[in-house]
Amino acid sequence: MTRAAALAALAMSLSTFLLFEAVSMAGAADAAPRVHTVLIEGMRYQPEGLTVAAGDTVVWINRDLVPHTATSASGRFDSNDIAPGKSWTHTVRTTGEFAYICTYHPLMKAVLRVR
Amino acid sequence: MKCSLILAASLAFVPISALGQGVSDAQIAAIVVTANQVDIDAGKLAVERSSNDKVKAFAQLMITDHSGVNKAATELVTRLKVTPEENATSKALQAGGDKNLAHLKSLKDAAFDQAYIDHEYAYHQQVIEALDKTLIPSAANAELKALLIKVRPAFVAHRDHAKSLQSTSEVR
Repeated sequence: MTRAAALAALAMSLSTFLLFEAVSMAGAADAAPRVHTVLIEGMRYQPEGLTVAAGDTVVWINRDLVPHTATSASGRFDSNDIAPGKSWTHTVRTTGEFAYICTYHPLMKAVLRVR
Repeated sequence: MKCSLILAASLAFVPISALGQGVSDAQIAAIVVTANQVDIDAGKLAVERSSNDKVKAFAQLMITDHSGVNKAATELVTRLKVTPEENATSKALQAGGDKNLAHLKSLKDAAFDQAYIDHEYAYHQQVIEALDKTLIPSAANAELKALLIKVRPAFVAHRDHAKSLQSTSEVR
């Protein structure tokens, strides 16, 4: 193999490697689960509408002085009591639109959309 | 509705906002603790006396939430070294609470539920007005003012919850 051919082969393998890495990283970025936060404050979920991807994690943080829950109407998820100053973490697996409420304060309503 | 108005008038609510002009932080502390305590006491009576599941759940909620507010208020004033100071408003609140309990104890079944929920609606509305017109504007300490602002939405949620129960056929 001439020196030029060797360099060409090296360049090709290097570019293939870099391309492979770039694709892998892009794929990893797309698939990487994300963590979303819902603040419970002022007797409201903030935001009241949240769209996430299946596999993502949602953390509900209770900043009120009273206990709350995040309870889906369909029964898909239920935090039970989230005490003041505490949080509840839930990883969503199923796609769909899930309306949820606080079972203690039924006027507190929000929607979690999982795509 | 007519019945609610008659009942509300008969309970002779305390004019909190009229009484509480220019109150000190120590007086605000006493007003907050008393306001929460009288609603906890009414809630305990309703949990014991009511046979309506929705009314009992609401009453238990009042006990839990107002205990939470009182815990936070007590912790704050202790840290601030503010000693709650009884005043005309806190005394009037206590007297109003005692009168409400005495009235409720004279009632049974649906009449009890209706009177309890009607009073809860009017009571929370009155406390919201007191917070807006007197307590929040008068609070000198920034943390106490922030606490009052923080608890306001809970009183609004309770008032609206009571209103939704007022329109529930089982309570009405």
